[in-house]
Amino acid sequence: MSNIYLGEFEELMLTMVGILKEAAYGNAIVEEVKTQLERKVNLSAVHVTLYRLEDKGLLKSFMGGATNERGGRRKRYFELTSAGIKVLQSLQEQRMKLWKLVPELKFSI
Amino acid sequence: MHQPPKYMQSLLERLCPEYLWEGIAGDLEEQFYYDIEELGYKKARQNYFWNAVKFIRPGILMRNKFKLRINNTIMISNYFKIAGRHMARRKLFTFINAFGLSIGLAFALLIYLYIQDEHSFDEFHVNKDRIYRVEEYAYRAWDPDPENPYIQSPWLQTPFAPTVKEELAEVEFAARFDTGEEYVVKSGKKIFTEPITFTDPDFFKMFSFSVISGNKNEFLKEKHHAIITEAMAKKYFNDVDPLGATLQIDIDGEKEFEVIGVMQNPPANSSLYFDILVNQTHRFNYERSLANWSSFNTPTFVQLRKGADYAQFFDNLQGIRDKYMSERLARSKERYSIPDDVIQFEYHTTRLDNVHLNNAMYWHKVSDPQYSYILGVLALLIIIIAAINYISLALTTSTLRSTEVGVRKSIGASKNQLISQFAVESVVLVFISLILGVILMYLFLPTFNDFTGKEIKLNYLNLLEIVGFAIVISLSIGLMAGAYPAFFLSSFSPTKVLKGGSSTKVRAGVARPLVLLQFTLSTTLLISAFVMYQQMKYITTKDLGFNKDQVLVVPIQLGWTEEANLAVERVRNNLQNEPNIVSVSGTTSSFNRGWSRYGYEIDGENKKAYVWAVDPSYMDAMGIELLEGRNFSPSIPSDTTALIVNEALVKDMGWENPLEEYLNWREDTASLGYKVIGVVKDYHFRSLESEIEPMFLSMDKNEVGYYTTLLIKLKAGSLPTALERVEKAFNESIADKPFEYTFLDDDIQAQYASFERWMNIMGFSTLFALLISGLGLFGLAGINAINRTKEIGIRKVFGAPVSAIFILINKQFVFMALIAFIIAAPLASFLMNNWWLEDFKFKIEMGWSVYVLSFLIGLTVALLTVTYHGIRAARLNPSNTLRYE
Repeated sequence: MSNIYLGEFEELMLTMVGILKEAAYGNAIVEEVKTQLERKVNLSAVHVTLYRLEDKGLLKSFMGGATNERGGRRKRYFELTSAGIKVLQSLQEQRMKLWKLVPELKFSI
Repeated sequence: MHQPPKYMQSLLERLCPEYLWEGIAGDLEEQFYYDIEELGYKKARQNYFWNAVKFIRPGILMRNKFKLRINNTIMISNYFKIAGRHMARRKLFTFINAFGLSIGLAFALLIYLYIQDEHSFDEFHVNKDRIYRVEEYAYRAWDPDPENPYIQSPWLQTPFAPTVKEELAEVEFAARFDTGEEYVVKSGKKIFTEPITFTDPDFFKMFSFSVISGNKNEFLKEKHHAIITEAMAKKYFNDVDPLGATLQIDIDGEKEFEVIGVMQNPPANSSLYFDILVNQTHRFNYERSLANWSSFNTPTFVQLRKGADYAQFFDNLQGIRDKYMSERLARSKERYSIPDDVIQFEYHTTRLDNVHLNNAMYWHKVSDPQYSYILGVLALLIIIIAAINYISLALTTSTLRSTEVGVRKSIGASKNQLISQFAVESVVLVFISLILGVILMYLFLPTFNDFTGKEIKLNYLNLLEIVGFAIVISLSIGLMAGAYPAFFLSSFSPTKVLKGGSSTKVRAGVARPLVLLQFTLSTTLLISAFVMYQQMKYITTKDLGFNKDQVLVVPIQLGWTEEANLAVERVRNNLQNEPNIVSVSGTTSSFNRGWSRYGYEIDGENKKAYVWAVDPSYMDAMGIELLEGRNFSPSIPSDTTALIVNEALVKDMGWENPLEEYLNWREDTASLGYKVIGVVKDYHFRSLESEIEPMFLSMDKNEVGYYTTLLIKLKAGSLPTALERVEKAFNESIADKPFEYTFLDDDIQAQYASFERWMNIMGFSTLFALLISGLGLFGLAGINAINRTKEIGIRKVFGAPVSAIFILINKQFVFMALIAFIIAAPLASFLMNNWWLEDFKFKIEMGWSVYVLSFLIGLTVALLTVTYHGIRAARLNPSNTLRYE
């Protein structure tokens, strides 16, 4: 899986879908990013990124869960494919590996 | 239940791929209802709008219907390619079309800028919605005029501003703003005259003119404060910090002012104009005016409190009238026996942002809203003319493309596809013209500014707007002009076209009436421009009854004092033996530099007359013809109470022997009045827009006034030396005052500036119109010649001379010019008589010469453009044209 490179935002979206499990759809992700990271993201950007990740085969989507406040429309839920899970894992491993190579840092204020 | 904006929803639905739409719309809507709870409906709608707009991005759009997209792109790129080839093959027609359209566009863009500028006046004031100019609306009791029974004027009483500020709850600030009169300003060695503005400290709180230095809360708090603009700071103090510097201003005696603030120059689109601001209290006779509710001598602006009720304010203004003016109004009501149902006086208002276009009364830079419409119509005409070029050329070249249409159709192109192909072609062409048009606009802008007297500059803001507007109008021209040819071309039946049965002759049937329309419009413009030119020429060359040439107008700069009269004497003596100076004379006001008019009652009848105080050399300097009696004489003391009157006054009084009459214009009960000693031939002391009305000249400085201006007649051809000599005499006779001068003929010409401006604009439009329709005709003639190539060949074989063929080809254009002229002549004469010439009391007759000349010009343009093709076609070698068959 080393041949897949993800941008920062793509990585964030992938992780969020992982966090939200079955409840991952556009608005929920925007909300989650807001509560977890205090970061405001754009709904359309979230959508576009999710579709792109779907194109790359890291996510798959299905429709469901229509509610009244959506005008009776269904949500497009996303979930990780096995490839997606692997990418997340390998990203984590790579990061840990690199982190260990960093000589001890002294932070001074 | 609140709904998200429908239009946005349906727009997005159209743009989004179908399979994504449900999820997106749902998310948007969910957010919307969430926002309503959190932020309220209005904000939620806004958020919805922006969220939805952000979805219009390549990441979404490019996911659309893949199959169809490939198809369309292939065809669209083909359309572009074909359009390019077609244009390249017919370079001349492409050029004619593109150039014509771009001129039209450039013109439309310029006019857009003009209209935009007109409407941007005073918009930059933060409080513009709450600031009003209060105005006088008074019944003309003394001089009733049934057509125009009320005086409307922005001048109010001096006590009005402080009174309303104190008494009316709605009024937050009030400032008098009296500007324009010039005074001598001195700082060190620099002496100039500048317009001084008299205002109140509130001025700086109401208006949003930017302050460069100084604390605006302190401005004009003290009587000796002066606020100047940047331009003034530079003029008087160069690069030295002007704060704290002193200026000597000669307002009713020289006074010292301290500069405590510098403001930015008021922008070009400001109705309020100022250079140096000082306190109102410096105005001549201020204390006396402050107690006087019957003299209207200063414009006044008020700012209402936030949320104040305008209707209430308006009512209260009339309350102020009742409180302070009722006595005076009752008196005049009795004296002139005004009926009860007539409103004698009201305070009216104009909101600040409407001041510029309210031309019911005079104001600096005031403008007629009609101008915008007229210009808009002109732009529309030019664009129509250009669009007609496009349509007629596309139609007449249509058979050349019929084979292409046939082939495309038989391969399976649908009619819609062909229409979109031709639409692409016209849009491509229009966009080429658009780029050219914007460049042309940029190049023409300085000229246009000159013509319209505006100072429009391009900046990022209006450039963006202009480009947006340009895209909108070019798309609409492209689609409208392209629509007819597109439908026409795409309706060819493939079987007919491909069989080759139909004639190869290009159809010009529909094109001809269009070209006729085009020619009619151009000819109308041409005749109008011609009439304007003739009228302006008439005005500049008309004998005004006096000699306006070689007369120098020099302001004396000594104010309204006896000293000024003595100064005239000194200058005269100084210049007495100069061979280059014919005559030196003083007067109360020069031509087009103000006038005074007195009303008086004689035998129960209201009379009025213009009055000038002059000295004995006036008649000589101005070359005014004396019909009867004699000129004033310095050696006859009683001449100070003698008058010289004009013919119009004699007629008005019904005098048989004017030299035995007295005119009691002071309504003096103790004497007969002023003796008439001379009658002058009527001369135009005011603009030719008005009739010559009763007028008299007097030497009475006490009753009429002191001299303000020197009129110095120079000998012809002596200009530079004479001018130098006059300046020397001025400086020797009038110490410490700036020597400024204008020429009388320029002053008189300046009266007609706005007419001249219209003449220029009309000329400009006519030039464009003729150019574009000439181009169109050129193209049409070319096609015509191509169509008749064989016919011409055969005629030549049978012995027709070149001249006969030339006539054969061109006679239809002569005919067309004639018809266009027959339609245009009455149209133009109606327009001119009812709009432009109407304002002149002295005007040209629209005689046959105007028509004949404009017809000849139109015909010449038409013939010149068609001649090239005519001669070329006529000279073609028949063996070449007939060989292929």
